[in-house]
Amino acid sequence: MNYNQEIVDKVCDALVRAGSTFTPDKKEAYKKAIQKETDDKARWVLETVLENAEVAEKNHSPLCDDTGIPHVVVEAGPNAAVTGTVLESIREGIRQGLRTLPGRPMAVKGNDAQRIAQSEGMYEDSGMLDAAPILIRSTDEEVLRVHILMFGGGPAIRAHTHRVFHKHKVEPVMDQIVEWAVESTAQLGCSPCTLAIGVGRSHYEAASLMLQALVDGRYEKQSEMEQEITNRVNESHVGALGLGGDTTVLATFMKVGPQRASGVRIVCMRPCCCFEPRISSCEL
Amino acid sequence: MKVLTTPISEEDVRNLQVGDQVLISGSIYCGRDAVLPKICELIDSGEIENTDIHLRGSVIFHTAVSPAGVGPTSSNKLEIEGSFETLSKAGVKVHLGKGEIGKATIQMLDEQNAVYAVMPPVTALLGNNTMEQRLVAFPELGMEALYELKVKDYPAIIAAAHNESIY
Repeated sequence: MNYNQEIVDKVCDALVRAGSTFTPDKKEAYKKAIQKETDDKARWVLETVLENAEVAEKNHSPLCDDTGIPHVVVEAGPNAAVTGTVLESIREGIRQGLRTLPGRPMAVKGNDAQRIAQSEGMYEDSGMLDAAPILIRSTDEEVLRVHILMFGGGPAIRAHTHRVFHKHKVEPVMDQIVEWAVESTAQLGCSPCTLAIGVGRSHYEAASLMLQALVDGRYEKQSEMEQEITNRVNESHVGALGLGGDTTVLATFMKVGPQRASGVRIVCMRPCCCFEPRISSCEL
Repeated sequence: MKVLTTPISEEDVRNLQVGDQVLISGSIYCGRDAVLPKICELIDSGEIENTDIHLRGSVIFHTAVSPAGVGPTSSNKLEIEGSFETLSKAGVKVHLGKGEIGKATIQMLDEQNAVYAVMPPVTALLGNNTMEQRLVAFPELGMEALYELKVKDYPAIIAAAHNESIY
């Protein structure tokens, strides 16, 4: 395969940024949470997580030892072309980025059954970790843009993708999301969380919308439903690291897609950990 | 802030209370889902006596060890929380990780005079507090093998002690 070296280099740099850097709005969200936090131990956790982010950014080193599974969203403008070479160059950039960060060497060896059982061990090369299937969407901007997101294992264990009977009201869906979030943030441990939510017609669509919510979400801009979820989960006082206090959730990023004429909604809810979304973008 | 240096004594543990902030120094073991059940098998079979693993007064940090660094994984995963009792009976005094653990585990820890502590997953900061690392057992498990670290002032909070917890 002949790669486009410019794409490889840009994606490599973006992956390292995603794994080592807080976005500016996330830093501000932490600073505001520290100011408002009334529990001393929870405030210490928030300050320590922010200090960790400052050190990681300065050193270009991992925020967390679980450097995560790369997830990629490509945005293509009206005249942009996404070719096989572009996609393979993105994948090569991810491999190089994982070796540079460095990513944790956690690609599992073996055939289907062996990979499930993890019976053959792992590759020592961080770059052997494949990205999840690439999501492509269109945009009105004249651009070809790549977003890299690194998904840790803890939130994956605690996430839900399941049907919810809405009873022709929004409240049952909101109640279910809050119930899942309160339970999962306590189990997760590495809070404060950012809740990522997709509501769609199938499991695939709901998970895809959850991923896009993380790309489009902003800490300083919360919809009415997002703010309600954040407020209700924070009333649980699970708090940072499960120690109690006011900051179980920093924000909620929610994307509601088209819906099926049915009594059921498919909801995907990922309780992103204190470092997520680990995201960075580049224009190709 | 209380200071804990390994090996940790029975008296050290008796003096710990839920919510105490502690700094942990000395040699600590690192293990998680893959290796902890294997350590438990060694304990149950008595083979642990023929190894270089010394659990009396020890700390088990639930983490992988890799070039990416170290940081706590969820301690309530089946194979990790399921190892607490055997490890505590073998002398482990501090189980160090993150996430809520069950009431039965909290009670068992009290019976064995052991505690559960949590720490923020601050890998970039922990790098400065980790002096040495050594592969101890099960190298085939890669980053999930049993490692020993020499650490200075790892920050943690006691989350379960004396049948009480933050949960």
